[in-house]
Amino acid sequence: MFSPFDLPEDIFLLITDELPSPADFALCQCLVSHIKEKQNSSLRVVLSVSESLTRWQSILAKSNVNLSQQIAAKTFHFIDITPMALVRTDTDKVHGNPFHALYEQISSLLEEGNRDLSPGALVVLDDISSLEWIGFSTSDLLRLCRALRALCLKDQATLIIRHHIVTPGELDPLFRHLHSLCTYHLDIQPLNSGRSGDVSGQIALHSGPNAFPQSAVKTRQRSAALQYRLTDGTAIFFERGSSRGVL
Amino acid sequence: MLDCVPNQFQSSSHGQVTTSYLTLERWLDSPVRHISSSQFIMSSFKRKSSSKTQSLPGTRPSPGSIATTITSTGIPSLDDILGGGLPLSCSFVVAAPDPHSSYGELVQKTFVSQGLACKQDVLVLGSDQDALDWVKGCMWFHSSASSNPSLEEDAEDQKPADEEQKIKIAWRYEQMKQFQTTVGSTSVSEDFCRTFDLTTRIPSFTIEKALNDGQLFTCNVLDTLDPTSWSECSSVTQTVLLNIEDVLSQRSSKILNTPLRICIPGLGSYAWGDLRTQDILRFLYQLRAILRRNPLACASIGLESHISTDTWGGPGWIQKLGWMCDGLITLDAFTTNPSLSTLFPSHHGLVHIHTLPSPHTLLPSSDRFSTLRGLSASVAEGGNSSGENNLAFKCTRKRLIFETMHLDVEGGVAERRTVPASSSNDVLDNYNSRVSSIPVPKTGLASVEVELDPGSAAKAVPTPSPSHDDTGASVVEEAQAPKPRLKKAKKTVAFRSDRPDLYDF
Repeated sequence: MFSPFDLPEDIFLLITDELPSPADFALCQCLVSHIKEKQNSSLRVVLSVSESLTRWQSILAKSNVNLSQQIAAKTFHFIDITPMALVRTDTDKVHGNPFHALYEQISSLLEEGNRDLSPGALVVLDDISSLEWIGFSTSDLLRLCRALRALCLKDQATLIIRHHIVTPGELDPLFRHLHSLCTYHLDIQPLNSGRSGDVSGQIALHSGPNAFPQSAVKTRQRSAALQYRLTDGTAIFFERGSSRGVL
Repeated sequence: MLDCVPNQFQSSSHGQVTTSYLTLERWLDSPVRHISSSQFIMSSFKRKSSSKTQSLPGTRPSPGSIATTITSTGIPSLDDILGGGLPLSCSFVVAAPDPHSSYGELVQKTFVSQGLACKQDVLVLGSDQDALDWVKGCMWFHSSASSNPSLEEDAEDQKPADEEQKIKIAWRYEQMKQFQTTVGSTSVSEDFCRTFDLTTRIPSFTIEKALNDGQLFTCNVLDTLDPTSWSECSSVTQTVLLNIEDVLSQRSSKILNTPLRICIPGLGSYAWGDLRTQDILRFLYQLRAILRRNPLACASIGLESHISTDTWGGPGWIQKLGWMCDGLITLDAFTTNPSLSTLFPSHHGLVHIHTLPSPHTLLPSSDRFSTLRGLSASVAEGGNSSGENNLAFKCTRKRLIFETMHLDVEGGVAERRTVPASSSNDVLDNYNSRVSSIPVPKTGLASVEVELDPGSAAKAVPTPSPSHDDTGASVVEEAQAPKPRLKKAKKTVAFRSDRPDLYDF
């Protein structure tokens, strides 16, 4: 999953990004690689907080993935958390877990997927930071993440959560907790020299506390980060110093 | 081509080819009747364009994605930064941290004026006593304005400065056109982007007509709420959003085919009450969700100066704002920093781009099509693969212009200077005085000799020496006669072959 890193399945991948280097491309590429590898044999669930289904469809169409067909075949479920998020922050602040209904919905979808399809589903939560900023407590969000992780472990599904870093160099409490749960951490950063037409940003891959020591995944430190250049529908990866402007 | 021509027009000899070609042209001009595809093959390729975009006034397809419809902000250079214009269903936030200027408000007023000029519907949210009073202060265009007045007037503004400092240009560059730092509205029609004049106010009859036709909506919801009675300030934002949703739902029920511009000037002003960071983020988040559901609407929000910086919202505040909207820029004026305004006298502030709209693509269309940002000229296309251009803005007498920012001629790193610049200010003088107090060893200096041209030295006018009268005040001789301008001596630099030391800059 997610070439060029070739990540295994059944992991918790934490993706962090910053405003100059958004990680939309990483989420799309994970979804595209899962669809192309598994075809209609596995389930994909996207929990979207900010982006609309139209944007996902437009971007994935450039990789020859028809999300409408996936939705019709019930192998792709798009859950827009926005209405639920706005209602729950207005009322019932003290009445139970605000994400209980969402968890039940995802659990039932994964059960159906395991019953009708093969295991190895993909669950994407995009993104968790916005939920914190609009009023959800860190503890409720962490409960949701732990519950999703446990659910995915039980159903052999891959979990991907996106988190925005707004203070580079300073780790916020939510990130610390998420990092303690993750298997791998995909760190997407902008260039220190600013925007460039040939290099959009750089990606580093770190092992999380739950990664297997004998894993065949090749991690990349920030000093040896892979650089990428965005196009309309995908990203092109290259080693540092081998972009079009250099060679 | 001749094989495709109908039989009666075919010819085998060269002399009759021309005749056949002309006949073919006349044949093409005549109405085509019952022509089979085998007899005449005509390219049926048509550029895929949505008919819906052609009927929406003041809009056009985005150059980056045919699925994206864009509309002008009223400022051509800002449209260029956005990649052609503001996409519909997107929100655009302008932060202006300077409390002593109103450049952010200028952007909002131009946004409203452009909407009214191109027959779009406009909703203005009142943050003051009356939103209508705010609209009355918007700018307008001259009815007899030329098609390209922006660049012409910029040239006129720069003309007096250029006459005083005539820069000697090498002969090989004389034929090149003057270096342009901004873009005009020449490439788009006036239906898409008008050229507004800051000295001209919108006519009152235009506002009245827009109100009567239902083109202009004003929402004074903030005036109807009592700030002291709010139990939670989030109810203010909720009330505003409910009003916006009501307007949009009424429009959708009428199946209107006109884009709606929502303008929210002064978000966070006193009329909004004591908003928290969570309230503002939630407001922007909800507004964006509303716009996603209404693809014919777009919004431009101006932030108050005190909430446009990280000092109010805490570390990462601007980044959070950028994640909660589709586009965010900061107009960082030089008003609070006199040194910057002295260093860059031709600009009034810096432009910081935090995020740009990309509703249907990963890459914002601005990265590929913006001339000002300079990211589009990549190596593969034969351009220079440098980083993004520094952007600044300036407010001339007639318009607000965004342009690239470059170092002045006398301040460029390419110029090797041997004497201090004549236009040095107090800041630089103080710096030089501090630097000159540091003793520099002789061996640390470059071995450079500067000789004056003998011809120009003879023409130098002797400076009058001050003489003192009985009272001790200094009196300058020849004070009444006008002093001739001193010609700068031609500098020459000599190299010493016996000491080929490295230059120390």
